[in-house]
Amino acid sequence: MAEEVKKRTTYRSRKELKPRLYIGDPMVAVFRTLVRTTINRPNTILYPWEKLIMPDCFRGRPGIRLEKCIECKKCVKICPNQCIQMVPIDHPTLGKVNRPQVYVARCMMCGYCAEVCPTNAMMVTPEFELAAYTRSDLMFDPFKLQYEHKPGYEVHSPMITPSELKAGKTESHDKGDMAIKDTVELDPKKCISCQRCAKTCPVGAITMADTGEVNPKTNKPVKRPVFDNNKCVSCEQCVEVCPKSCLSMKEAM
Amino acid sequence: MTEMWMNMGPQHPMTHGLWNLRVKVDGEKITEAQPVIGYLHRGWEKMVEARDFQQIIPMADRLCYGSSMTWSHLYCRTIEELMDVEVPERAQWIRVIVCEMQRIASHLMWLAAVGTDLGSYTIFLYCMRERELFLDQLMNLTGARMTYNYPRIGGVRNDLPENFERDTLRVLNLFEKRLKTEYEALCDKTVSYRMRMENTGYLSKADAMNLGVTGPNMRGSGVDFDIRRDDPYEKYDEVDFEVCVEQEGDSYARYRVRMREMQESCNIIRQAFKKMRPGPVRVKAPRNAPKKTAFAHVEDPRGEGLMYVVGDGTNQPYRLKVRSPIFVSVSAAPVMLIGEKVADVPAIMGSIDMCLGETDR
Repeated sequence: MAEEVKKRTTYRSRKELKPRLYIGDPMVAVFRTLVRTTINRPNTILYPWEKLIMPDCFRGRPGIRLEKCIECKKCVKICPNQCIQMVPIDHPTLGKVNRPQVYVARCMMCGYCAEVCPTNAMMVTPEFELAAYTRSDLMFDPFKLQYEHKPGYEVHSPMITPSELKAGKTESHDKGDMAIKDTVELDPKKCISCQRCAKTCPVGAITMADTGEVNPKTNKPVKRPVFDNNKCVSCEQCVEVCPKSCLSMKEAM
Repeated sequence: MTEMWMNMGPQHPMTHGLWNLRVKVDGEKITEAQPVIGYLHRGWEKMVEARDFQQIIPMADRLCYGSSMTWSHLYCRTIEELMDVEVPERAQWIRVIVCEMQRIASHLMWLAAVGTDLGSYTIFLYCMRERELFLDQLMNLTGARMTYNYPRIGGVRNDLPENFERDTLRVLNLFEKRLKTEYEALCDKTVSYRMRMENTGYLSKADAMNLGVTGPNMRGSGVDFDIRRDDPYEKYDEVDFEVCVEQEGDSYARYRVRMREMQESCNIIRQAFKKMRPGPVRVKAPRNAPKKTAFAHVEDPRGEGLMYVVGDGTNQPYRLKVRSPIFVSVSAAPVMLIGEKVADVPAIMGSIDMCLGETDR
C-alpha cells in the first residue's frame, strides 16, 4: 500500500517550493528568534531566584484557619483521595477540639475541601514547593496546615437551582445561601427521641422540643428535633448518626 | 536469519507513554507489527465505582494530561445526560472556549513530540513556548496548570476572571501570527521534515473507516466527519467553522489536519467570545442518579471520546465505560507500518498523537 502512495503525485505546494525556500526560510525563522531573545528578555526564567507570578485562584496545598473551623467534616467526606482526617488537638485558645489533618503526599490539589467548606476555614494556598526528605514530613497536622489568610484565597462556586433557571432568574447564589442549601427532613414516626442528632450537630442547629405527648411506657415527655435552617451547614452528620434512619436530606432543586 | 522480532518500548525514545510495539523486520523493512498495551493500567473504571459523582471529576482529568479539560468535560456531559441536567448558556459557551484552548494546547504538545521524534529540537522549543501561553490563560481561569478540575456537573466552577477575554484574544493574535510564519517555515518549508512525513504511514480511507479510527487521523485519510458538526454538543451548532479534511492519508496529511484545526479553534474561540452573554454558570445537580443508562461523546483532540454510564439510584456510578480514541488508532499500527522502514516508525507512530493514559485507563 505504501508503494502505491510513493508513485502518486505528491503535494502541489512542494513542487512550487524552491530549494532556496527549503533552506532559507527555516534559517530566517530561527535567526529572527535568536536576535529577539538576544536583545529582549528570554522566554525562560531563572527559577530558584525568579518565580512566576501565580494568579489568585492558584491551587497549591490546602491551608486552614483553625479558629474558623466548625468540625463539620465536609472536607473529609468530599476528598476524593481520602487524605483528610479529623484529629484531636490542644489549642491554646480553642481548647481541646478536632481539626483536619492533610496528608499532602497523597493530595491531588483538586481544591474540593476549600470549595465545600461552609465557613471558608479551609482554603487553597499558593504554596507549590512541597518537596520533603521524609514521607512523614508531608503529613500536615492542623498546626502545620495553618496559613495566613488573604482575600481571594476562598473558593466560591456560584450556583443556581434548576427551578430558578426555568423561571428565568439569572442571579447566582454563593455557598451558604438558603436557596441552594439542602435541608434535613424528619420522619416523626420513626424517631425515638434519643437526642443524638442534637448532640452531634457541630453548629447547634438542632434543638429538642416537647411535642406535648407522653410516652406511655416510660412516662417521659416525647421530644422531637427541630431544625434551624439558617444555622445548618448541610454536613449530614445528624443523618449519619441517627440510629433509626429517620432523618434524610431534602434537596433544594 | 532473515527475519526477527524487535521490541520498541515500553521504555524507548520512540514511545509516547508506556507501551510496546513489537515489529518483525526483514533487514530494514517491517513485515509485521503488534502493538502491546497494558503497562499503564490503573483500574480507572473500577476505581470510580467507589466514588461520588462529584469526586470523579478530578479523576477524569487524569485520564490524559494532554487534554484533561476534554475528559472532565466529557464526564460531566455524561452525568448530565444521566441526570437530565440543563446547563446554562454561559456555561456552555465557556466550555466551548476552554475545550478549544485545550485542543490547541494538545495539538501543540503533539507537534512538539513529533519534533523530537524527527530530531528537530527547535520545533519542540517553539511549540512548548506557544503552549505555555494557553496554559497560562487556563491557569488564570482554573487555578491549575494541567489537571484543571474545572467543569462541574451542571456547568463550570467559576465565571471567567477579569481581563480573560482581552488576554486570550491577544494570545490568539500572537499565536496565529506565529502559526503562519514560524511554524510554516519550520515544518512545511523544511526539507527533512517533509521528506520524513510525506508518503509514510499510509492509511487509506477504507481502512480508516473499517478500523474505527477517529479524529484528525481519520480526517487525514479523507473521511469528512466531525462530532462537533455532525452531532453538535454545547454551542457548537451556533458557531461557524470548517471541518479540516485532507485526502492523502499519510503522516503529512495528519499534520496538516492538526495545523488547520488549530486555526479553526482560534476562529471558534473568537466567535464564542462575541456570542457570550452574562448569566449563571452552574446549575445545582441532584445527588443521586436515576436507574438508567446514558452516554455522551465529544470530539477529543485525538478522536472520538465516549463515556457510557450505568446509574443505580445511588450517588455512585454502577459502571462507567470509557471509549478512548487512541486504543483504536494504535490497533491501526500494523496497517500503517507494514512495508515501511524501521527508521520511519517514530515519525508514523508519533503522527497519530498517542496518549496512553486514556488508552490503558
